Amino acid sequence: MIVDIGYISLLLAFLAAIYSAVAAWYGKSKNEERWIESARNATIATLPLLLVSSAMLIASILRNDFSVEYVWRVSSIEMPTYLKYTALWGGQAGSLLFWNLVLAVFTAVAMANKWRSQKDLIPNALIVISLTQIFFLGISAFVENPFARMEMVPANGNGLNPLLRHPGMIIHPPMLYLGYIGFIIPYTFAMAALMAGKLDDGWIKATRRWTLTAWLFLSLGLILGGRWAYDVLGWGGYWGWDPVENASLMPWLSGTAFLHSVMIQEKRQMFKWWNMVLIVITYSLVVWGTFIVRSGVISSVHSFARSAIGPLFFGFVVIMLLFSAYWITKRRDQLATGNKLNSLLSREAAFLYNNFLIITILVIVFFFTHYPMISELFIGEQGFVGPPVYEKALAPLFTLLVILMGIAPLTMWYRSSAKRLGIAMRWPALAALIITIGLFALGIRHWGALLGLWATAFAAILTLLEFWKGTRARMKKGEPVWTAFSRLMARNRRRYGGYWIHMGVLMMALGIIGIESFQQETQLRLETGERLTLGRYEMELKGMERYPGPDDLLITEATINVYENGKFVRTLLPRTELYTRTGQPMTIPSIRSTIADDFYVILVNWEPTTATAATFRVFLNPLVNWVWAGGFVFILGTLIAAWPDKKKETVASRAAQAALGAAD
Amino acid sequence: MADTTWTNDGEDILTKAKSNRLKYIVGGVLLLTAVVFLVVNAMRGSTQLYKTVNEFYAEQSRLTGRDLRIGGIVIGDSIKFTEIDAQTTRLEFDVVDDLDNPSPVLHIVAMNEPMPDLLQHEAQALIEGHANENGVFMANQGGLLLKCPTRYEELDPAGHPDGITNSTSSEQ
Repeated sequence: MIVDIGYISLLLAFLAAIYSAVAAWYGKSKNEERWIESARNATIATLPLLLVSSAMLIASILRNDFSVEYVWRVSSIEMPTYLKYTALWGGQAGSLLFWNLVLAVFTAVAMANKWRSQKDLIPNALIVISLTQIFFLGISAFVENPFARMEMVPANGNGLNPLLRHPGMIIHPPMLYLGYIGFIIPYTFAMAALMAGKLDDGWIKATRRWTLTAWLFLSLGLILGGRWAYDVLGWGGYWGWDPVENASLMPWLSGTAFLHSVMIQEKRQMFKWWNMVLIVITYSLVVWGTFIVRSGVISSVHSFARSAIGPLFFGFVVIMLLFSAYWITKRRDQLATGNKLNSLLSREAAFLYNNFLIITILVIVFFFTHYPMISELFIGEQGFVGPPVYEKALAPLFTLLVILMGIAPLTMWYRSSAKRLGIAMRWPALAALIITIGLFALGIRHWGALLGLWATAFAAILTLLEFWKGTRARMKKGEPVWTAFSRLMARNRRRYGGYWIHMGVLMMALGIIGIESFQQETQLRLETGERLTLGRYEMELKGMERYPGPDDLLITEATINVYENGKFVRTLLPRTELYTRTGQPMTIPSIRSTIADDFYVILVNWEPTTATAATFRVFLNPLVNWVWAGGFVFILGTLIAAWPDKKKETVASRAAQAALGAAD
Repeated sequence: MADTTWTNDGEDILTKAKSNRLKYIVGGVLLLTAVVFLVVNAMRGSTQLYKTVNEFYAEQSRLTGRDLRIGGIVIGDSIKFTEIDAQTTRLEFDVVDDLDNPSPVLHIVAMNEPMPDLLQHEAQALIEGHANENGVFMANQGGLLLKCPTRYEELDPAGHPDGITNSTSSEQ
């Protein structure tokens, strides 16, 4: 019964999406408002329908109804209740239903909005978003049905992998979904603007917050995924350039390029065509990423169940690309603008360089990710490109991007004088050089790292100066320093939020340079009382212990004293947990974290027969905590930039309406 | 990407526009060359070939010594972890393409590599390294990748694009 209600709701949502596309199209061609209203209602109705459907799937999981194949796959009787809720996205079919639910939330919220300033876009927006919904709901209803039954009812289910029980892993997929799906809204409005031939920056302004929100969640997903890998996978790393990781990085990159280049359109009415292309690329990469992740066409360390949905995703991406290309070509005259680049030293040129660098990085990541397919096509053998190749090709581009991040805020719209720029950059460049020479004097001889550190310091000084200049200007009007600073943020959220994001990126850059260039590791068997030295740390094995944990766990734990420069600082307890019922082990590192580095210890092996000795692998990860701290600042900056600013909004929309009125 | 346009009134502007256009083309070609150089330079000698166990044995002599990425299914009984001395450990196991038809078998050796949590019977492994003269596959440091059971489901037995056919990804 529960299962039937779930499936029927899913089918109804699918039918509602079809109805919405048809009704919106009909209403548009007959110019009948009530058909469009009806289409809008049908689109919004997908949300309650999918809520019911998802609730029914969760109910089946909670009731241990193993007659449903999906429940059998991802759940088991013993599984803790909170994991039974999150099992909704624990498997292929369920995660697609969850994807549909999130899409319906975004769609319903976007369509419930009256969009007074963008009313003309609504019929087309309904058509475009319904097409996306029809595809994903169709997959859920007919190809990957989460409510499909088993032929025989098993007594118990498989249960969720212990490795996935980390909190980071429970929230990481929904974050990525929110990010992925969020980009569907700006794409929808971009297409609607194209179809309606309304090509001012109205659609950009109307969807700016959606874009930022999507970008925020995608960033969070990337950062949390990295943190999970660092905590759980036990190789002291956080990013492996795996195809599935790249699949989430690529739309993030094009989304970043889009967020920057729309500013030129808003300010100078340039790059209209390019912004359309960027949002189409981002949307396509979202669907393409889902295809890579779920089809298994590229060998990845993430294994998904293979199913028939691969070719379907491929077909859908091709159709949407053709559809988008058709409309962009059709409107190419309207997308061309009379404004041109006045100077290669202007703000708009800086955005152009930014876009060039980001898109180049994106193209390279795309090429490397697809290299197995490309090489098979051309040389008949599947090649593969590993992390060192990515790092070697991308490091110079990221360095340039960091330098540009510092310089760009100094440039002016239209043109800026080379002399003024030179004066503004002179001292920061020198200060960064002095820092770099200082690092050289301290014994750092890694040239790539020194260059990267110079660039990071240079950009950080320039960014901090931007904060200082703004604050000082307000202080001159008599405001105390803290008031001046906080008002500066509050009055220019978008700009200073952006600078906060830049600071976050620079902090992460520092951390990445640290761990990539200076990571040290060693492996050694220690007798109780023996010591191991790595960098300025020393560790002493105090003892080993094995004891039963909660549930079916058997815990093997080492007690280790850590000394920094000969002084005791902390006791670490690296351990392995064995889920005895399933035989699944889990290695849990123990870490001493400071702002300077992580001393990261993994228990490799302990034979109870040699009770006094155990083998450890130890990593020294310099500056890695700057990656996480930078991630935090980055998210904070995005929140500042995206925070609703009511007064400004109404002024902007009124101005937009006035402009529209004038244009008509 | 460059949204530069020009008007057609006046010879001067036209010539200027043409020389501007030339500048952009030259600049674009230079940038493109730089990017291609970056990519080619990074890839030179650093790409691996992806092979399944059967594919490896089909061309063993040619592939011996080459930088490879092998995909296969782990045979649980073959996993062995040995501590040779205080500084050295050896992890070894066998991989096959198909557990139901477990031949040929490739023997993998990974020195000083902790035993990955996911290394167990029926796990899908990706191993980076090279095969030596004795037909033993030596994994690179950090070159042992076990498929992350992202969705923790059983795989479809058929239609494996990697050419790997197996029945489960990682069973509890």
